[in-house]
Amino acid sequence: MPGLDTSLSIGVQSLLAQEGALQITNNNIANANTPGYSREIVDFEQVGPNGTGGGALGNGVVLQGYQSIRDELLQLRIGQQTSDQGSANAQLNSLSQVQPAFIPSTIDVGTQMSNFFASVSALSTNPSDSTARQAVLSAGQNLATSFHTTAGSLTRQQTSLDSQVQQDVSQVNNLSSQIAAVSRQIAQAKGTGQNTGTLQDQQDQLVLSLSKLTDVSVTHTESGDTVTTGNGTALVSGGQSLQLKTTTGSNGFQHVLDSNGNDVTTSIKGGDLGGSIQTRDQTIAGLLTNLDTLASQFAGAINTAQSKGFDLNGAPGQPLFTVPGVVAGSAAGITMSATSPNAVAASSDGTAGSNGNLVNLLGVQTANLPAGQNPTNAYAAIVFQVGTAAADAQANSTATSASLLQLTNQRNAVSGVSVDEESTNLIRYQQAYEAAARVITTVQTLIGVTLAMGTAAAA
Amino acid sequence: MRVTTLVNDVLSGVQQSEQSLQIALEQLSSGKRVNQPSDDPSASAEMVQNLSQSANVDQYTKNVSSLLSETQTADSSLYSVVTLLTQAITVGTQGANGALTTANKQALATQVQAILGNVVSQANSSYRGSYLFGGTASSAAPYTAAVGAPSGYQYNGNSNVNTVQIGDSLSTPTNIPGNQIFSQPGSDVLAALSGLVSALQTGTTPQIVAATAAITTASTYVGQERVALGNISSQLTSQESYLSQETLTLATQQNSLVGIDVSIAATNLSEAEISHSAVLTAAAKVLPNTLLDYLK
Repeated sequence: MPGLDTSLSIGVQSLLAQEGALQITNNNIANANTPGYSREIVDFEQVGPNGTGGGALGNGVVLQGYQSIRDELLQLRIGQQTSDQGSANAQLNSLSQVQPAFIPSTIDVGTQMSNFFASVSALSTNPSDSTARQAVLSAGQNLATSFHTTAGSLTRQQTSLDSQVQQDVSQVNNLSSQIAAVSRQIAQAKGTGQNTGTLQDQQDQLVLSLSKLTDVSVTHTESGDTVTTGNGTALVSGGQSLQLKTTTGSNGFQHVLDSNGNDVTTSIKGGDLGGSIQTRDQTIAGLLTNLDTLASQFAGAINTAQSKGFDLNGAPGQPLFTVPGVVAGSAAGITMSATSPNAVAASSDGTAGSNGNLVNLLGVQTANLPAGQNPTNAYAAIVFQVGTAAADAQANSTATSASLLQLTNQRNAVSGVSVDEESTNLIRYQQAYEAAARVITTVQTLIGVTLAMGTAAAA
Repeated sequence: MRVTTLVNDVLSGVQQSEQSLQIALEQLSSGKRVNQPSDDPSASAEMVQNLSQSANVDQYTKNVSSLLSETQTADSSLYSVVTLLTQAITVGTQGANGALTTANKQALATQVQAILGNVVSQANSSYRGSYLFGGTASSAAPYTAAVGAPSGYQYNGNSNVNTVQIGDSLSTPTNIPGNQIFSQPGSDVLAALSGLVSALQTGTTPQIVAATAAITTASTYVGQERVALGNISSQLTSQESYLSQETLTLATQQNSLVGIDVSIAATNLSEAEISHSAVLTAAAKVLPNTLLDYLK
């Protein structure tokens, strides 16, 4: 039944609903710049008539609450791209620091190798000259030093990546604990029928932070959310965080263990952690192996050439360089063992004036080492390797940034707050509020008129 | 699509144009397109090979110029020897005159003896501390006086020849062993001179004539050896000009591998500047406008 009383209560309900809508709008505006915030939309519902039949009228509006607008699939893809970007950036950062050692300068291995051969060639024009002999010795020492410097810059980078791995693992553990806590709250809130939008935003944001560190995937289940790394190592399960551990492996670097103690180092991909491990164990390790091989085989070839000739005193040529017995560590360990300029085995006939054996020493420059390339080309291949790795990382970083921008724009299209839109809503709810207030004033006037009906005639 | 904010696009645009600006600036100021291996990995690798080749060519050039002075020194020694031998032939021809007294011949013999001493001193000439005509045994004087030797001198050197690389696949001999020039059997310079000395001292006129003829043979022979030295010298000279051409070629290659034309770099920079200011202008226009500006 229609009535002024009903109108009054519809008016009050409407005021309350518009107030609630204003608050939601206000909350959206307040969080316009909050990372990971999903916009909330007002959930108005009309109240149906009490009775049935032609005379039954609507009973106004009720504010059911709000709805967080989110797209789980987009969120997932943003997570994946974020972890790809994290990995690319980790690789780019460390390779950019490694690269300068391979830029042609006065001290890079390539230049020093050329200098060494040039000094041998210079000696061939005057094989008994002690200045020219000393020059060969100095060039050899400089070459050994530049092998040390280059190997040093690679191992320093490995060491710094190694401590990065440790930090990343502890951050992963920290984030997975937080995610576990939030996921317990979500399960609880769902149980009591509360809105989980805010908690969901919080969890998405934590997962995104985790994605920066490693590739993760999230599975939503009734019993709580499960977070696993790309290779299936569980980080959060059933509201519990499963902590990773690090331990020093046989290669002297930190290895990552899952909560059961299994070594998962090689299977961790993506994110800063994955990128750091890949750069440490593959990219830089590969460069070091090639540099070690070059140093070891170069020293071997020079020493073999030495042994074919005679030194200034006519004694059989002794090794010029000393390298460790194993290839690993040769670049860092190569030293000039000869101390006297007389040691250069220039002579092929035992006389001081012969330069016949220098052709063997010079031949090392153009002969293929056991690894298949001559020393110059082997070094050029290492430079190519460094350049390609850094350029790939750069390209990946740029590509993921571009795709991340697109995905973020798509996410914003769905979940982002538009201040213009909210301003419009503000006006809309303000007008509705004013109208509802006007209804109440009108009803009040009408009730006044009704109450005055008896006295109106008398007056 | 529902657009909520342009901030991200603006930020990314500004960052990109700033990056291009940085690259253009670096290229212009360094004059290089490739400043680190990642800028162009294969050009960087080729650069390593090119630099190594350039260092070799530089060294070949230095070798050539050092060898040129060495062969010039050797050549001037041989020239002196030929001159001395010509003098000896003149003296021998004088000595063959049957009218000469023994005292006259003795005087001539003394002259030839002096010539012999001069020839030996030329044979012992050195360059940068090494004897030129001792084969590879270049640290001791090649010829020293020896009692009992037919010429009165013995050869202390060997017959070995040093070669020096002056191109990737080009080597040149750097010396002619002394025994090949001064004491070659059949045209032994020193023996011929000492033969003339003894012929003048004690021999008959026909013996003096024969000894003089032996010196003529030896002189012709030394002349031939000088030609061989001259060949080395001219090979060095032609290699020198080839190497300077090669240096130029390598420098040009380097430039095309990692360098950038200044005008291109400058154009790139101004393009980057224009696009950067376009991005900033657009950002300034787009960002401040909201509905709130129009609500009063």
